[in-house]
Amino acid sequence: MPRFQRRIVVTGMGAISALGLSAPATFEASLEGRGGILDHEFDPGPNGPAPVTMPCALAPGDVVAATEEALGRRIGGSVDLFSLFALKAAREALDQAGLVVDGDLGDRAAVVLGHGFAGIHSLETAYERFFGQRTFKVHPMTVPRVMVSAPASAVAMEFGIRGPVFATSSACASSGHAIAQGAALIDSDQAEVAVVGGAEAIATPACLRAWQALGAISAAPCRPFSSGRDGMTVGEGGGAMVLETLEHARARGARPIAELAGTGMSSDAFHWTQPSLEGACAAMRGALEGADVVDESELLISAHGTGTPLNDKNEAAALRAIFGERFRDHPVIATKSAHGHLIGAASVVQGVIGILALEARTAPPVLNYLGPDPDCDLELVLGAARPIGADVLLLNAFAFGGLNCSLVFRRWT
Amino acid sequence: MASQDEELFDLIAQEALIDRGKLTREATLADLGLDSVDIVTVVFAVEERYQVEVPQDAFDGVTDLGGFVDTLGTLIAPKIA
Repeated sequence: MPRFQRRIVVTGMGAISALGLSAPATFEASLEGRGGILDHEFDPGPNGPAPVTMPCALAPGDVVAATEEALGRRIGGSVDLFSLFALKAAREALDQAGLVVDGDLGDRAAVVLGHGFAGIHSLETAYERFFGQRTFKVHPMTVPRVMVSAPASAVAMEFGIRGPVFATSSACASSGHAIAQGAALIDSDQAEVAVVGGAEAIATPACLRAWQALGAISAAPCRPFSSGRDGMTVGEGGGAMVLETLEHARARGARPIAELAGTGMSSDAFHWTQPSLEGACAAMRGALEGADVVDESELLISAHGTGTPLNDKNEAAALRAIFGERFRDHPVIATKSAHGHLIGAASVVQGVIGILALEARTAPPVLNYLGPDPDCDLELVLGAARPIGADVLLLNAFAFGGLNCSLVFRRWT
Repeated sequence: MASQDEELFDLIAQEALIDRGKLTREATLADLGLDSVDIVTVVFAVEERYQVEVPQDAFDGVTDLGGFVDTLGTLIAPKIA
């Protein structure tokens, strides 16, 4: 199993979600059991069908104003919402890391951001004008706003990052793969530092309808691993981490928050929407073995936990297969019940929450839980936040199309 | 300055993310950093607000902001008269 040759640490984190416009705000809300899933009306406009109301987890307040304040400059409508999320989260992560990318470091810095979709808000606006209003007048910046690599470019331009910069896309595992690829760049000495993470903004009338058509969306806020669960809830947001070698962090006096100890990636090569036990196990095993996690008395597990009947059942079976009789030694959190499914940004935002939970020695509760499902008999954190003794976080992402990515972080002591 | 110029300067500052205080009729497009993408973005906003069509070659030979807003002003004048 591949192991990192260099020690790679997280020195800064940022997040933006329905739970708040920063990593601490997102974590605090999740600890307090304050969910961000609310009913919202989505109106396709005069050329579309009637408006629909559905639960969704949208970032609160004025994201443009918050991002402009964080960056200290005007942005207006110059970028799509998913790029705004990436810029805001990257700024927060770099601030926490105390990292200024200047001089030669710009050439040795990377950006890798994951997105399951692209600039859907801008694309849908353009298509509504073209097909709905039947006008040729689409915004001239539509292409740069929509392209899947736009957030990576925006972050690179904002902070002067001139090394490897690109996007990863693996549906709901996209930012997991982005974190893994950023670490691989550092491990292979192609970069000294990397801003990694992801962003997603897909809560538009037509895109949500597409998710509904697939039968993936619940009419109620999602309830991972619960009896009566019947689907996921879409969320919007983004997150970022600053990765660097331990050596680099120490040389500049930065305090690591956690170590990225292992990554595991696999493909089910099986089905568009049904998960496989083997694929999930392979990803987890790769991450755990790569991190040399053996016989750990307690891990914190941040489950993929979408709230769909099949995913949660399969993930529970995979955790039983990996941990055997001791699978209930490990507390399981499923924070999509609070911030919704952030799709391409899910891994990084869940990673931020999970790392902060290790640091706080407290795990946030699974929300919207109705009662046990015998197929999902995990050690779920239910009711309220609870103390944990774990020093290791196992983070799962099992995406549509059978693309899996698990990550292992160690609490920094 | 004519109110029409001021209105267009406000719109240019907003769309091209340029400090409003730097916008004068004498400033050149190059000095303001107004590139081709900025110009098509401003033109799009003008077409939207005033419901006009701006020909693609409308700014041929225009190098300063005065010429730029004069060209736009000629096109929008019938709409705001």
